[in-house]
Amino acid sequence: MSCASVPGGGLRHPLRCRKPWDEECEEEAVCVIMCASVKYNIRGPALIPRMKTKHRIYYITLFSIVLLGLIATGMFQFWPHSIESSNDWNVEKRSVRDVPVVRLPADSPIPERGDLSCRMHTCFDVYRCGFNPKNKIKVYIYALKKYVDDFGVSVSNTISREYNELLMAISDSDYYTDDINRACLFVPSIDVLNQNTLRIKETAQALAQLSRWDRGSNHLLFNMLPGGPPDYNTALDVPRDRALLAGGGFSTWTYRQGYDVSIPVYSPLSAEVDLPEKGPGPRQYFLLSSQVGLHPEYREDLEALQVKHGESVLVLDKCTNLSEGVLSVRKRCHKHQVFDYPQVLQEATFCVVLRGARLGQAVLSDVLQAGCVPVVIADSYILPFSEVLDWKRASVVVPEEKMSDVYSILQSIPQRQIEEMQRQARWFWEAYFQSIKAIALATLQIINDRIYPYAAISYEEWNDPPVVKWGSVSNPLFLPLIPPQSQGFTAIVLTYDRVESLFRVITEVSKVPSLSKLLVVWNNQNKNPPEDSLWPKIRVPLKVVRTAENKLSNRFFPYDEIETEAVLAIDDDIIMLTSDELQFGYEVWREFPDRLVGYPGRLHLWDHEMNKWKYESEWTNEVSMVLTGAAFYHKYFNYLYTYKMPGDIKNWVDAHMNCEDIAMNFLVANVTGKAVIKVTPRKKFKCPECTAIDGLSLDQTHMVERSECINKFASVFGTMPLKVVEHRADPVLYKDDFPEKLKSFPNIGSL
Amino acid sequence: MQSWRRRKSLWLALSASWLLLVLLGGFSLLRLALPPRPQPGASQGWPRWLDAELLQSFSQPRELPEDTASPPQAPHGGSCNWEACFDTSKCRGDGLKVFVYPAVGPISETHRRILASIEGSRFHTFSPAGACLLLLLSLDAQTGECSSMPLQWNRGRNHLVLRLYPAACPRTFQLGQAMVAEASPTVDSFRPGFDVALPFLPEAHPLRGGAPGQLRQHSPQPGVALLALEEERGGWRTADTGSSACPWDGRCEQDPGPGQTQHQETLPNATFCLISGHRPEAASRFLQALQAGCIPVLLSPRWELPFSEVIDWTKAAIVADERLPLQVLAALQEMSPARVLALRQQTQFLWDAYFSSVEKVIHTTLEVIQDRIFGTSAHPSLLWNSPPGALLALSTFSTSPQDFPFYHLQQGSRPEGRFSALIWVAPPGQPPLKLIQAVAGSQHCAQILVLWSNERPLPSRWPETAVPLTVIDGHRKVSDRFYPYSTIRTDAILSLDARSSLSTSEVDFAFLVWQSFPERMVGFLTLSHFWDEAHGGWGYTAERTNEFSMVLTTAAFYHRYYHTLFTHSLPKALRTLADEAPTCVDVLMNFIVAAVTKLPPIKVPYGKQRQEAAPLAPGGPGPRSKPQAPAPDCINQLAAAFGHMPLLSSCLRLDPVLFKDPVSVQRKKYRSLEKP
Repeated sequence: MSCASVPGGGLRHPLRCRKPWDEECEEEAVCVIMCASVKYNIRGPALIPRMKTKHRIYYITLFSIVLLGLIATGMFQFWPHSIESSNDWNVEKRSVRDVPVVRLPADSPIPERGDLSCRMHTCFDVYRCGFNPKNKIKVYIYALKKYVDDFGVSVSNTISREYNELLMAISDSDYYTDDINRACLFVPSIDVLNQNTLRIKETAQALAQLSRWDRGSNHLLFNMLPGGPPDYNTALDVPRDRALLAGGGFSTWTYRQGYDVSIPVYSPLSAEVDLPEKGPGPRQYFLLSSQVGLHPEYREDLEALQVKHGESVLVLDKCTNLSEGVLSVRKRCHKHQVFDYPQVLQEATFCVVLRGARLGQAVLSDVLQAGCVPVVIADSYILPFSEVLDWKRASVVVPEEKMSDVYSILQSIPQRQIEEMQRQARWFWEAYFQSIKAIALATLQIINDRIYPYAAISYEEWNDPPVVKWGSVSNPLFLPLIPPQSQGFTAIVLTYDRVESLFRVITEVSKVPSLSKLLVVWNNQNKNPPEDSLWPKIRVPLKVVRTAENKLSNRFFPYDEIETEAVLAIDDDIIMLTSDELQFGYEVWREFPDRLVGYPGRLHLWDHEMNKWKYESEWTNEVSMVLTGAAFYHKYFNYLYTYKMPGDIKNWVDAHMNCEDIAMNFLVANVTGKAVIKVTPRKKFKCPECTAIDGLSLDQTHMVERSECINKFASVFGTMPLKVVEHRADPVLYKDDFPEKLKSFPNIGSL
Repeated sequence: MQSWRRRKSLWLALSASWLLLVLLGGFSLLRLALPPRPQPGASQGWPRWLDAELLQSFSQPRELPEDTASPPQAPHGGSCNWEACFDTSKCRGDGLKVFVYPAVGPISETHRRILASIEGSRFHTFSPAGACLLLLLSLDAQTGECSSMPLQWNRGRNHLVLRLYPAACPRTFQLGQAMVAEASPTVDSFRPGFDVALPFLPEAHPLRGGAPGQLRQHSPQPGVALLALEEERGGWRTADTGSSACPWDGRCEQDPGPGQTQHQETLPNATFCLISGHRPEAASRFLQALQAGCIPVLLSPRWELPFSEVIDWTKAAIVADERLPLQVLAALQEMSPARVLALRQQTQFLWDAYFSSVEKVIHTTLEVIQDRIFGTSAHPSLLWNSPPGALLALSTFSTSPQDFPFYHLQQGSRPEGRFSALIWVAPPGQPPLKLIQAVAGSQHCAQILVLWSNERPLPSRWPETAVPLTVIDGHRKVSDRFYPYSTIRTDAILSLDARSSLSTSEVDFAFLVWQSFPERMVGFLTLSHFWDEAHGGWGYTAERTNEFSMVLTTAAFYHRYYHTLFTHSLPKALRTLADEAPTCVDVLMNFIVAAVTKLPPIKVPYGKQRQEAAPLAPGGPGPRSKPQAPAPDCINQLAAAFGHMPLLSSCLRLDPVLFKDPVSVQRKKYRSLEKP
């Protein structure tokens, strides 16, 4: 490389690199240095004194060069520090060819063949996982080595692209540890993805000499192409003793349920081809077979189907007449028609995945990627990740002997189910098939779930596509259960200093037959609650809880004192509710224990002019909230309100000293997906909304504030969970022409 | 001189700068050439190979043809799996047909009743040739009920050997290709996807109905023990886990203090029940814990959990490794209330759906096998694992959960906004013109079906209605009313009797209420049941009372799924009973819905109650002062057939929000409901 400065080039272009060869200057700074030194050597300082008029320019030029050089060098020095945190700089930059070589003597030990009776509790040393915090296993990866036999002939290809990717994915994940003493799972760097590329005995010897091998316990091997000609075993033939095998072609005969992990055979097309998701629905072909090299018997069967059902079945084979240079992997042919593979899969509703000599087929991945429902015809095949994935939702499994009936079997599936399967197939590919990383992490997650079952991922999390996860509600109180009446309810009265009114409320509420305990939440820090002797004497226990701060959320705190499931939240000025009314409210709650059961109902409305939600307290025909000035609910919602309220709502309510009831309505509706139950005709309490002394203005500010709350909460929840209903609950014989004295709840108050 | 000095100083400055530059640059070059040593504490990770791009793929495309060299084969050495050992070709048509080998010689009462129960089920067939599954009961060795090899054995193909109780018969003959359903099989002998794992039933397990779950409240009571431990002698003790000492025997260094444990025969009130996984007998403890709503914590079970093929046990139990006791204990203590709540409820649901009676266990076994045969039209996992369970959610109705009334929440779907009115015209058979007009007037009405069920010829003229009207010629049987007619296109059915009288706004309001409760029946007139001490049996009445437990199906909304359930899942005997005693059909329908939902029906206001209550009642013609209460025997027969009393009482009625309120009539949407 030669570089030269341009004399008198001015400040703008003090120097330029000339590159006579194609080689690039590796770094600009290097170039600067070299250019500068060349100049130094050629012209030297001796030239300087001879310069008369031009020397000033030379000095300036030289200084600029030096200055620039310094700046560039400085940058070069300091800039890399900013990326040092990422792995790139820290990790060795080496070639795979330079890894250490290990010579395996011919008589080095070979592991046992593999124990078919292995289970986690017999062959897995769980004590090694004792260190692992946060219910996460720690995985160690052995350093890469090249193994050769006594003659120096290598045992296998050092590592394949996919296995390198796989180990990199593990190394980048939370599972990874480089501390061999704290690891719970060990992954050898010996690549056994494809059995055909390795020497079985020597590979086994290589495994046996790993530093923590110990009969293979806690070692995990990844294999996608097991077996070899002629009999193609369905599991890796390398003797591996107790090692776990994540295998790509297990059959029921070789798979150790709950120990091995069945994984997909990765299809390189997943990375090469970008197939945009195609919506579910009918497609051009009903059934398609795209595999090449099928056994002639199967091909006959398929072709018979094509003859019988005509256009809707398409059986493809490899192309024989392709011109040079065309990738045959990416083409399929039917007679003389050429199709692009895997794009053609998107044109079919169902795609056949037949067993080859091996059970696991990479085509399964392509088919799922295309959103085509796989029709798996491979007896005894253990589908990938079958321990956690529900393949019934994404595939059709047909016994080999029923291959000729496959068309009618598929036709009996309702269209809606087909569409769900198409969606599910694509989701499986996206989540668990599309990259080596996805496969590796799903495998580790499965093993992790076995070791920490109490922290395991649920069926829904594994299987439900995001659309379903978003739309569905899993009610925390899903069991239809009517709690016994004998349990009664706990009344919680939130009070500040209105002692007189509070005592009246206590007296009134204590008349309700099913009351089992009364809890007064004393929210005033400046004043002590009245002495014990002053409190009204009632037939149930009365407890006073003092709070640390005057916050509205104290009313919904899950106090240990609450022993019943039913909670009646009641304000310290609600004296108008009759005993019958409260008892009836409790009875209604027993029938709807997962809902808020309250008295005055309120409504939210969409204000089309303002384009936002509006709070409505008019007496309408609809209800979507109840006031918690007096309302029954399950005590679990106290826990949710205090600890699981989304966003900043809880603090926001405490700061604004308003809308805690609306927040509770939102919370319960959101978590249960159900509407409130309004009981009895009651429309107002004391009416903070309508009887204030200065009337209208206060009323209006109140309404504006309440509307603001609804809008705030709707935005935090990301949706409007409230449900509108047009019914309320009354006693069966309410206002019926029936003798009052025979009615259970004759005294159901008024508006 | 000056210039020289200036030159000298310049020269010096320049060379110094050069030196600096070279030094700095040299370092940089050095760094490039020699990679830095990894710092001791830093995580190193898998190296990024410089030549990673050049690595070869693990599978080369040219390898593919090699794959085909050998012919396809399904190797299996003596062992069995579903594809190899079960012949599904016999199971064509209407699903699983089961033949049970009759008992030889004297049999016990239990055996006889189990046989009767299977024979009464919808799976049963009397012809071994037409059966797709042949069932061999293998009950109790002690009473000598072991069967010898049956006639149609055929090396055990398509056979299921059912060993309900642990002390089952010794294997007197080779099982061959037969499937085995037995209690708590060991993990090693169990063949997944072929055998069926049964629960370990106690000897006194009820045949039918069975005791309900013992859980009385959703969440654990505060202060209740965290853990109950099963003892080898049988019985339980609670352990205080507040101390750091590990609670289970064999591993505790010190004996827990007397205040910490108490021995009990019955299951104590605890949140978790710890069950050893070694002894299969412990499996009976498992069932006990399940019933009590005590979340089972299984320590490295060596036996297969019951019906593990379909039941997702991670939702109801915790399977933990016995070798990590402290971690398990910590995990239990730290478990979130939400998870505990969900696990507790699931134990109750599973107990009640699949385990509470011998009959349920047998039906679940058959349902599992039927699902294998059905393939794609089997129950989705959701149906197995959420209430009401797969025995009550028939996959023959649909495999899409949205089609059922139970799963709208989980699916994020809603019931359809329209209904079909099904009007039953019994003798004397007057076309219910007024009723048709009232119903057709509802904006939610999608179609009207008239079920003509009397001797008189069909009228040729029907009133003009806004919605399509279809006439079905029935078979004069009461059970026809609940047949799943394919012409019913909507989720909701409004079942009516020709003599019912409803107004349009009553229909509208009731339908709106039904949309909120699609799994329940929403009706206008009610019946209530009671325990009659005097007769020692159940009775029911149509008297107006403060409570009710049934609604009359002569005017009620319900989901069309209940027609399928009525027709296809009820034992034939019950449907015959309904046909013979037409007044019983209301009770029967209410029994079915209550058994499925475990909730009472819903009553909505009925305006003409006072004057015209009678025409709504089933039975004979002519006005009566009260709805006729049918023979009380019906309810007792049904309670016996169901094995328990499923009906539940409700004390509320759902009214419009402004119902009979002293506010302006103009405000009210359902004014006509209040008219006297």
